[in-house]
Amino acid sequence: MSFKPNFLLLDYAIRSLMRRFGKSFFIFFILSLLIFVLASVLMIADAIKLELNTTLKALPQITLQRFSAGKQSDVPLDRVEALLDIEGISAVTPRVWGYYYFKPAGVNFSIVGIDAYEEQYSATLSTLTQRFDVKLLEKENGMIIGEGVKKILEENYYTEFFNFITSEGKWQRVRIAGVFHSDLALESNDLIILPKKLVYGIFGMDESKATDIVIKVTNVKEIPTIVQKINERYPDMRAITQDDIRVSYQNIFDYKSGFFLALFSICAFAFFIIIYDKTSGLSSEEKKEIGILKAVGWSSDDILKEKFYESFTLSVSAFLVGIVVSLFYVYALQAPLLRNLFMGYSALKPSFVLPFSVDASMLVLLFLLSVPIYIAATLIPAWRASILDADEVMR
Amino acid sequence: MITLHEVCKQFMQGDEEAHALKNISLEIKKGECVVLKGSSGSGKSTLLSLIAGLMQPSSGKISVDGKEISKLPEAFSAQLRRKNIGFIFQKFHLISHLSALENVIVPLIPENLPVHVLEEKAKAIMAQYGIVHKAKMRVNRLSGGEQQRVAIARALVNNPSIILADEPTANLDETLTRELIVSLEVLKQSGVTLLIATHDPLFFELPFVDRVIEIKNGEIIL
Repeated sequence: MSFKPNFLLLDYAIRSLMRRFGKSFFIFFILSLLIFVLASVLMIADAIKLELNTTLKALPQITLQRFSAGKQSDVPLDRVEALLDIEGISAVTPRVWGYYYFKPAGVNFSIVGIDAYEEQYSATLSTLTQRFDVKLLEKENGMIIGEGVKKILEENYYTEFFNFITSEGKWQRVRIAGVFHSDLALESNDLIILPKKLVYGIFGMDESKATDIVIKVTNVKEIPTIVQKINERYPDMRAITQDDIRVSYQNIFDYKSGFFLALFSICAFAFFIIIYDKTSGLSSEEKKEIGILKAVGWSSDDILKEKFYESFTLSVSAFLVGIVVSLFYVYALQAPLLRNLFMGYSALKPSFVLPFSVDASMLVLLFLLSVPIYIAATLIPAWRASILDADEVMR
Repeated sequence: MITLHEVCKQFMQGDEEAHALKNISLEIKKGECVVLKGSSGSGKSTLLSLIAGLMQPSSGKISVDGKEISKLPEAFSAQLRRKNIGFIFQKFHLISHLSALENVIVPLIPENLPVHVLEEKAKAIMAQYGIVHKAKMRVNRLSGGEQQRVAIARALVNNPSIILADEPTANLDETLTRELIVSLEVLKQSGVTLLIATHDPLFFELPFVDRVIEIKNGEIIL
């Protein structure tokens, strides 16, 4: 079978599709929907994975939390010096932070306390302390907020300052001194940076303690040994490594992927019903047409070419429409509904933009799972009919 | 020239073998007009399908213009049919969603020629049969007579040397039947070989018919 394009045959194939408009449109719609759902889910998953991986890279190598009677409690600052004595640890930073629930919007903000004389444990904080004058923040009771926080506060008429309610039930007025944009949207979009002193006040914490401690090591291969030493010295402390967090994120992501599996199953089911219907045979009208075409001089190859053009036109156009619509849905509309399925976690609720991430191998996989299968499902029954005696199928 | 040598065709009907044609030997000369007569189920249509290469004989040989059609690969027999044989069916067998012009062009599509060449060819033959003004109309909107002329134009668009007609008047009224006979006579005069399978007695006495062959139960009896 040669594949020199025959435009009359293509024209004939398109007319055949238009003649069975209802059926053709239904198949086109289901196929486009299948591609759209799968492509959207995969694009969202890719974008979130990209975001998470970037976030993970910025996380501390070891985070130490203290537990008393199974409950997390603040860590005494005198342990900082003692930890520095452990060989292999290059830096120890006490962190003062927590979640602040903002009732009018029903969201959690991440509040992080910083100190002008302290080395920052993350690249985001280092950048922020370089850009904003932390001493001035301390002097003027100011704070720096992420774009997501700014948007929510503005919606609630807080444009210049915000009144925190402290653990003692008092107002703590803090001026909005700056807004930061970040590429690490998941990590910092809901972030509020405050001088440590203010954070102690808001959370009602003892100033000789920290929420947790982050540790930098000289050699990452030493992390398990260092963790073991810390556990021996401080049995009430739990060490969380970057790998632990990675596994934890992965588990959440895998759990969310269950929704994807459910969506995939529904779409795949609809698609395979179409495939089953196609492979189970042609209608008597289609068979008769094949008989007529053979009688007037078409060979089986010509008939298969025509069916190939038909199925190729339909499946490729459905594929392209599905991909274009999903690109628009995910990146222009920011994937309403599906996005919430994957990110339904209140701390992440302040909006962030899904970073553009299209994996070519994903597109190829989707193409291979749809177009060739549909073409094969069209060609097989047509081939069966074309090898029958024309006389038989015309009767 | 068409030659059949001891051609047999059997079909399976359930578990039993049915003999549609038994030891048919026949020779039809170039330009000859032969009528195959016989009742329904006698094997006339099967014989036409075998000559057109639409089915293979169970045994025996069939040659068309010196080529043994029963041994040709499917693609070649299709090409032979497209270039040498025109088929006129009892029920016209037009493709209903296409226009009259498109129906006439259908046999030429695999040739992959420029559209204007195909249209010129098709319109020329349609003009001969007085239906060129209906070229753009869908065939299911045409009258029975017009549909029949489209079917004839389709059979002739490749300028075939052989016309096979299977019960061509079975669905026609008297006027249309006479029109068809005139068309067939014109073809005969132009040197086309005609093989007409029919049980319409009108054909048995036509002056341009050279021979009438009767088939009964798959065998030639006259």
